[in-house]
Amino acid sequence: MLVNDPEAAHWPVDPSRLDLVEEFRRKPRGPHSDALQKLLHRMRWSGVGRRHVLIVLEPNRRWMLGRLPGRRGAPIETFPNRVFTDLAAAEWAVFVLRWEALTGQKLEDGSSAA
Amino acid sequence: MTDTTAVLGYAWPLVVSPGEEVAFHLSSASLAEAEATLLRVRCGDPDPDGPGLRFTTPGTPVDGRVALRHQPLHPGSCAIVPDVPALRRAGSLSAGCFLWPTAPLAGPQTILSRWREDRREGWRLGLDAEGRLEFEVGAQGRSWRVTAPQPLLEREWVFVAGVLDAEAGEIRIVQQSLDPQAGRDRSGDATAAGPRSVSWPEATALVIAAQAREGGDAPLTAAHLDGKIDRPRLYAGALDAAALRALCESLAPPPGDPDLLAAWDFSRDIPTGRVRDLSANRLDGTLRHLPMRGMTGANWDGSTVQWSEAPHLYGAIHFHSDDMHDAGWSPDLRLTIPEDWRSGFYALRLRARQGSDDPVESFVAFFVRAPLGKPRSRLALVASTATFLAYANSALRLDQVHAEAMLEGLLTLSRDDVYLQEHRELGMSTYDTHSDGSGWCYSSAKRPILNMRPRGATFNYGNDTHIIDWLEQIGQDYDIIADDDIDRHGAQLLAGYDCVITGSHPEYFSRAMLDAFDAYQRGGGRHIYLGGNGFYWRIGWHPTQPHTMEIRRGMNGLRTWEGEAGENALSFTGEPSGLWRSNGRPPQRLVGVGFDAQVFTRSYPYRWREEAHDPRIRWLVEGIDLEKPLGDAGLRGGGAAGLEVDRVDHTLGSPPHLLWIATADQLDYGGVPTLEELRTLHRGAMGDQNARVRADVAFFPTAKGGAVFCTGSIAWACALSCNNYDNSVSRLTGNVLRRFLDPRPFEGFD
Repeated sequence: MLVNDPEAAHWPVDPSRLDLVEEFRRKPRGPHSDALQKLLHRMRWSGVGRRHVLIVLEPNRRWMLGRLPGRRGAPIETFPNRVFTDLAAAEWAVFVLRWEALTGQKLEDGSSAA
Repeated sequence: MTDTTAVLGYAWPLVVSPGEEVAFHLSSASLAEAEATLLRVRCGDPDPDGPGLRFTTPGTPVDGRVALRHQPLHPGSCAIVPDVPALRRAGSLSAGCFLWPTAPLAGPQTILSRWREDRREGWRLGLDAEGRLEFEVGAQGRSWRVTAPQPLLEREWVFVAGVLDAEAGEIRIVQQSLDPQAGRDRSGDATAAGPRSVSWPEATALVIAAQAREGGDAPLTAAHLDGKIDRPRLYAGALDAAALRALCESLAPPPGDPDLLAAWDFSRDIPTGRVRDLSANRLDGTLRHLPMRGMTGANWDGSTVQWSEAPHLYGAIHFHSDDMHDAGWSPDLRLTIPEDWRSGFYALRLRARQGSDDPVESFVAFFVRAPLGKPRSRLALVASTATFLAYANSALRLDQVHAEAMLEGLLTLSRDDVYLQEHRELGMSTYDTHSDGSGWCYSSAKRPILNMRPRGATFNYGNDTHIIDWLEQIGQDYDIIADDDIDRHGAQLLAGYDCVITGSHPEYFSRAMLDAFDAYQRGGGRHIYLGGNGFYWRIGWHPTQPHTMEIRRGMNGLRTWEGEAGENALSFTGEPSGLWRSNGRPPQRLVGVGFDAQVFTRSYPYRWREEAHDPRIRWLVEGIDLEKPLGDAGLRGGGAAGLEVDRVDHTLGSPPHLLWIATADQLDYGGVPTLEELRTLHRGAMGDQNARVRADVAFFPTAKGGAVFCTGSIAWACALSCNNYDNSVSRLTGNVLRRFLDPRPFEGFD
């Protein structure tokens, strides 16, 4: 039984690579440089901690931040104060959370979520 | 935020003809009533950038208020043998089988039982919360229990048995590992005091892989097992471990032995819902909720991988505590489809709490077919019900590690997804794994399906309604025919039409369905394939249960779970499953193109190839500027070539007469080739470096005036409506449809 290992993504994140942060902030949906692709794979493979997701409030217009519980049957955690009207802004907001989780360093401008 | 799950339901049958009755089975845990409206679906995709939700309301007797009740779901498969005198025989008793537990630590589970939980009477052989084998006897208000010294190992075969020795006043456990080495030995016996006489409860069903919560022949059940059971035996006597093991090893226990109470052989009648007893008592049983059959037994030795070649090696059934085949809900509304109705995608809309900030709008989908022999149009659009079922209640994005990396962005979950996360009792899709980690191989429509209805996920059903929307927009009449009927009736159903359209994702095909299209195309039929990843997996339909399909994913192809060795043949038909490409019929042979890659970063336009200027297909590009790209807009990723894409390959069967008209072959790093496209390991396989990662548009004539046109992309259908339907994708599709409905043959291809 072959399964995907949540710990498999192991590209080492360099906290000094703020150039990658800036590249993502400018273009959250890509295309991205090789190094940023690797950083995003690291973030997306495991979700970093429990996976942040978006919950559709209005199709293709409004989304709320949520977080998967990591266990079947348990409710999805929601963040009603973090609502986005733009997917790029939502991507950036979650990137900020994941960067901090991976590097221990807060990013400036973590508040661009609407 | 619209509440799409406060009331749920399913329509049965899923596909009906005019004149036939459809029943709506509804349930709500919170609403006492709802407003029902029957709709014909033109577009089921709520994306405000596209056509949006579009329906017509024919007006029916079921429109209006409908009272609702809560109808709970009871998942978990098992076999049930109704009570008979042989099961109440007094005295000693032995019960044994081979067991392959898949979640021994998931909670107390029952392997074999004749037990009433409400009275705690009878006997049961099971696992305790620590995964240790236990045998329990309850009678006259007392209970006796014996537990094995060490817990079982997950996914390791073990011989297990429980014995009541009434003469000795003992109960015993036998546990023998079949591979007792290298840390895998969990063998061990245990004995405890037991009753010298018991009187067993009356009206209590024997249950395999669960236990009855109550009396009667169709009890609710509990303590469902996750794992495989092979060759269960019941004996009226206290056998020693060797004799009991020999009885279970034997493929043909002597029915003349008057103390042999039951010896079930799960290798008989594998395609059915029956389990057969080889003893003289005829204790045949019925399976509930479709456990997985055709599974390797403890005696499987790798000499074959096909159960039909050596059924005696396939005496196991894999039961799952979350199997769900038949919700069993009572119907709330019934409607006889008027004879004059057009075929189509239909739905019952249920609304409540309108005007509140949490209004309810939920849909129950069904399909009205054009019956065999009664076409009302020259054109048919196929409802890809096999694909809709394969994806029914997909929790892929909730459960699977790779989902966000694959989709190249944050997961966006609908209200349906949020509900599914908490309500796994709905039963999930063939993309998902059971709670024990094994794959779901069956899917049925006798349960609510959240992503096969308007407002549902923007894939498959929703995308296909963009084709309906476009046909309505251009004023083209059409019939709807369903995969179920193509499988049942074969080529004769297609033969009633001059042209047949398959939709955005006709991925799941039985052999009968593939044969039907092959015969149709060879007999002059014209086939427009407007999708990607089509004709990909080989499936089977249940021989007697309608709207129930099976897929065994095997070890090749884009598989979200992998089948176990030897377990990749279809239990419904005995045929191999897996990819059609691995079964000698790559999609390229039927439709010119076949699946090669996913691309979720964005969708792309195609560039025209030289063949687009071929004078034999001038009709195809009429009115289209070949200096501009094809399909540079679309609702899915901003282009017409994307999501899942197909390519021409003559080595895989693309025909010599094929004209490769356009290609999107610059899919950048987001173009990820499918696994069967990689023969050797090397870097450079992604779309930025690999020209075989691409979407191709192609045309070829077949025999007797027939023809095929294909677009090689799932995103195509969602590009039709861009710029108010005035775009190159819409124009090209329209040119093809017009020409394919024109009976003149295609000249110049000899």
